[in-house]
Amino acid sequence: MTELLQQLVDGVGRGSIYALLALGIAVIFGVMHLVNFAHGELITVSAYVSYALFTLGLHWWALVPAILVCSMLTALGIEFAAFRWVRNSSDFTMVLTSFGVHFVVQAVFIMGVSANRRTFARPSWLFETVNAAGVNLEIYDLVVIGVTLITLAATVWLVRRTMFGMTLRAAAEDFEAARLMGVRSNRVIRGAFVLSGMLAGVAAVFWLMRTGQADPTAGLTPMLKGVLAALIGGLGSLGGAVLGGLALGLVEVLLISRLPDGLVGLTDGMVFLCIALLFVFRPQGMITIRRAERV
Amino acid sequence: MRAVPTTAGKGCGMRSDPARHVLGPILGSLLLFGLLVGGALAYTSTGGAARDDLATQMLINAIVVTGIGVYVGNTGVMSFGHIGFGAIAGYTFAVLAISPERKAQIIPDAPGGLAGVSLSPAVATLVAIGVTLVAAVVIGLGLTRSGARTGAISSAVITLALLFVVHEVARNWTDLTGGGRSGISFSLGNKLEGRTWIYVLLFASILVARLFRQSRVGRLAQAAREDDLAARAVGINPAAGQMIALLLSVVIVAVGSALRVYVLGVITPRFFFFEYTLITLAMLIVGGRNSVTGALLGVVVMTIGLEGMRYVAGPDVNVAALDWLLRDGLTGIFLGGAMLGFMIFRSSGLLNDWELDAWLLRRRRRRRALRSEDPRPAPESPPPQANSLATSAVTVDFGGFRALEGAHVGVEGAEVVGLIGPNGAGKTTLLNVIGGVVAPASGRCIAAGRDLTGAPTHVVARGGLVRTFQNLRLFGSLTVQENVEVAALVAERHRPARPGPDAETLLRGVGLWELRDRRARELDYGNARRLELVRAAAARPDFLLLDEPTSGMSDAESLEMIHRVRATAAAIGAGVLVIDHDLNFIIGICDRVYTLDQGKVIAVGTPEEIQSNPLVQAAYLGSALGGPRTPPGT
Repeated sequence: MTELLQQLVDGVGRGSIYALLALGIAVIFGVMHLVNFAHGELITVSAYVSYALFTLGLHWWALVPAILVCSMLTALGIEFAAFRWVRNSSDFTMVLTSFGVHFVVQAVFIMGVSANRRTFARPSWLFETVNAAGVNLEIYDLVVIGVTLITLAATVWLVRRTMFGMTLRAAAEDFEAARLMGVRSNRVIRGAFVLSGMLAGVAAVFWLMRTGQADPTAGLTPMLKGVLAALIGGLGSLGGAVLGGLALGLVEVLLISRLPDGLVGLTDGMVFLCIALLFVFRPQGMITIRRAERV
Repeated sequence: MRAVPTTAGKGCGMRSDPARHVLGPILGSLLLFGLLVGGALAYTSTGGAARDDLATQMLINAIVVTGIGVYVGNTGVMSFGHIGFGAIAGYTFAVLAISPERKAQIIPDAPGGLAGVSLSPAVATLVAIGVTLVAAVVIGLGLTRSGARTGAISSAVITLALLFVVHEVARNWTDLTGGGRSGISFSLGNKLEGRTWIYVLLFASILVARLFRQSRVGRLAQAAREDDLAARAVGINPAAGQMIALLLSVVIVAVGSALRVYVLGVITPRFFFFEYTLITLAMLIVGGRNSVTGALLGVVVMTIGLEGMRYVAGPDVNVAALDWLLRDGLTGIFLGGAMLGFMIFRSSGLLNDWELDAWLLRRRRRRRALRSEDPRPAPESPPPQANSLATSAVTVDFGGFRALEGAHVGVEGAEVVGLIGPNGAGKTTLLNVIGGVVAPASGRCIAAGRDLTGAPTHVVARGGLVRTFQNLRLFGSLTVQENVEVAALVAERHRPARPGPDAETLLRGVGLWELRDRRARELDYGNARRLELVRAAAARPDFLLLDEPTSGMSDAESLEMIHRVRATAAAIGAGVLVIDHDLNFIIGICDRVYTLDQGKVIAVGTPEEIQSNPLVQAAYLGSALGGPRTPPGT
C-alpha cells in the first residue's frame, strides 16, 4: 500500500513535467495544426543556458528566470525563423520543418559547444526525502507537483479569462473565422509560441534539476514524452494534454516497477504502440481539432 | 470479369498507351540508371577505397529512397516508418546470413534454433522480404483503418510508432540482435564484394518504381493523393492503391536494407533509426517526392552535399578563420538546413513530379503535333440507357437538426432532373446521401436495380452514380487529360458493359483538348467546372449528379453550360440530377424539377409547373401561402 502510494506520487510528479510539455505542444497544434517535433529544442537550449550560467558561478535561483526567458525567446525565434513561413502548408511540410529545426539546433550546439555531454551540479536538497505517514516522499516530487499546479492554474486563467486566451481559443476552434472576426493571426500565433515556451521553460527547470546535464540531444527524450502525452490527450485539447501527461507519468512508473527486467526498455515502445492502436481504431476521436470540410 | 469490351476499348487507348505507360518508363529507367551509375563510376575512377565506399552507399541509398518514394510519392501519405521496415529486413537478413560459427560467438542464445541456421545471402534476402511484407500488411491494414490520406497525422503517428517499437525491440532483444551497442556483425572478410548485385537490384527498383507510377494502380493512387473524396466519387478505392503501393515500396526498402547490412557487414539498432529516416526523407523531399527522377536526384544532391561538408570539416581543409564553422556539426546543419530551406521555399522539391522520360516524350509529341493535328470524327453516341434512379423517404439528422425528412427524388432513363430549394433546404445533403458521403437515418437509394443505400462512395460510383462538387475538387497536380483518364480507368475495370466515348472525345466536346497537358489547378474557373463535368462523364455513370455546376458563372456562361451538360450527358447516355440556384439554368435544362424546403419535397413537376406553384413561390419568397416559416437564409 505505502509502496503504491509512493509510486503514485512519483508518477504524478513525473507526469506533471510531461503535462507541461504536452500542453505546450497542444497549444501550438491548436493554432497551427503543427505537431511540433522541435519542442524539445527548448529544453536543449535551456540546458546549455543552465550550463553556461553555472560555469559563471550563479546559483540555481538565478537560473529559473533565465531559463524561462530563454525558453520563451527561443520559441519565438523558432517561430520567426521557420514556422511562420510554412503556416498554411500541408501537415507533411510542417512536420518536416519541425524536424529540420531539430537538426539545425542540435548541429549548432555540436559546432558551438561540443558533441560531448556537459554536466552541472544538481541542487542536492531537492532530492532528500521527507517521511509522511510511513511514505517516503522526495521533496523534488512535491515541488514539481506544487509548481505545476500553480502553472496550470495560471494557464487556465490566461486561457479562460484574458483577451489573449479568448483569441487563442477562437483561433483553435476555427482559425479563418477568428481572423475574419478581427483576431490578428500573427499576434495569436506568436502568443501561442511564447506560452508554449513558458510552459517548456518550467518543465525544463525541473527536467534539468533532475538530469543535471546538457548535450545536443538533451531535448529528444522530453520532446518524445511531450508528443506522446499530447497524442494521448488528443493533440488539440488542452485539458487532454494535461491528463495525457499525468497518465503517461503514472503508466511509466507503474510499468517500470512491475515489468520484468527484460521488458523495461520497451516502455516507450509499448506506450507508442497503444497510441498507434488508438489512432487505428478511434481515429475520429483522437484529433479533437480537425479542419471541418463541407462537400 | 475484367474483359475489355470491344466497342468501348477501341478508341480508349488510355489504358495501354505503350509509349507513355510502358516503353517510356523503361527507357527512362535505363537512362536514369545509366546516369546514376555512370556518375558514380566516373567519381570512383579517380579515387581510392573511400570513394568506392561512398559510391556504394549512394547507390544503396538510392534503392531505399526510391522504395520510400513509391509509397510516399504515389499516395501522399506521410511515413516515418519505412526505415523501421528496413530494420526488420536488415535484422532478418543478418540473423539468417551470418555463418553459424560466427553466430555461436555473438548470439549463441538466439531463439528458435536460429543460431544454427545458415542461408545464402540471396535466400536470406528473400526471407527478409517475406518477413517484412507480413509486417507491412499489418501496418497497411492499420493505416487504412485510420483513414490514411495525404498529410493525415494519424499515419505519421502509426508509422513513427513502428519505427520506435522496432528500435526498442532491437535494442532489448539481445539474444537475437546482439543489443544496442555491438549489434551483430559478419566475420571479417565476409562482406558483399563487387557491385553487380547492387546494380541489378538498383535497376530493378528504379524500373519497378517508374512503371508503378505509370501503372493503372499508380495513377489511381495519385488521384486519391490529390483529392481523396473526389477520387472516391469517381469510383476509386484509395485503400487498395495504398496497400499495393506500401507492399511494393516495402519490398524495395527491404532489398536496399539487406544490401546495406551486407555491405557494412554489421547492423545495430542505430543504423536504422531516426537519423537514417530523416536522411532518406530529406533526400526524397529535396529531389521531389512525387517523381522517381526527383528521388534519385535528391540522393545525388544530398550525398554530394553531405560529403562536401564532411570534407570541408575534415583534416584536409584547414582555414583558421572559419574554425567555428568547420566542426562536426556541419553535416547536421546541412541536413537540417536543406530540409528547412526546401520546406519553406520549395516544398515540392527540385523536380516536383517531373520525370525524364515523360519530358522527352512530350517534346517529341509536340514536334509531331505541329505536323498533324486532325480532330477525329465524333463517334456515335450510345443509345440512352433505360435505368432509373430512385431515392425514397430519406431522413437525415445532424445531431438535433433534421436536415432531410422523408425526401425523395427520382430520375428515369436519360432525363434531366433538377433539385432546387432555398439555402439550407437539404439539396446537397440529399446528394451526399445518394453519393454515399452521408449515411441516412432511414430511406433507400436504388440505382439501376441495385440498392446502394449506405454504400461507400467508391462503390456508389462504380454502381453508376458519379457526382461533381459544389466547391470544385479536381486532381490539382495531374494534367487535364490525366484527370479524365483516371476516371476512365475505373470505368474500364468496373463498368465494362457500358460503352462510352474516350477521353479525347470528351475533352474535345467541352473544348479542353488543347489544354490537355495543363495541370488541372492552373485552369480558370469555367474550364475547371467543365473539366469536372467531363471527368464525371468519363467514369461512364448511368446518372450524373451535379452540385451547382454554374455557381460563380456569369449568365452567358451558365447558358453555355446548359448545352455542355446536355451534350455530355447525351454522349454517355446518362440521366442527370442537378442542383442549382440559377433558375434560368434549371428551367433551361430540366425535364422535371423537385423542390425541397426544410428537408421535405414540396413540389414536383415540369419547370413551368414549378414556376407557377404557390408553395414554391412561398418557399422562395416567404409569402403567407406557405404557412408560418422562418425566412429563407441569404
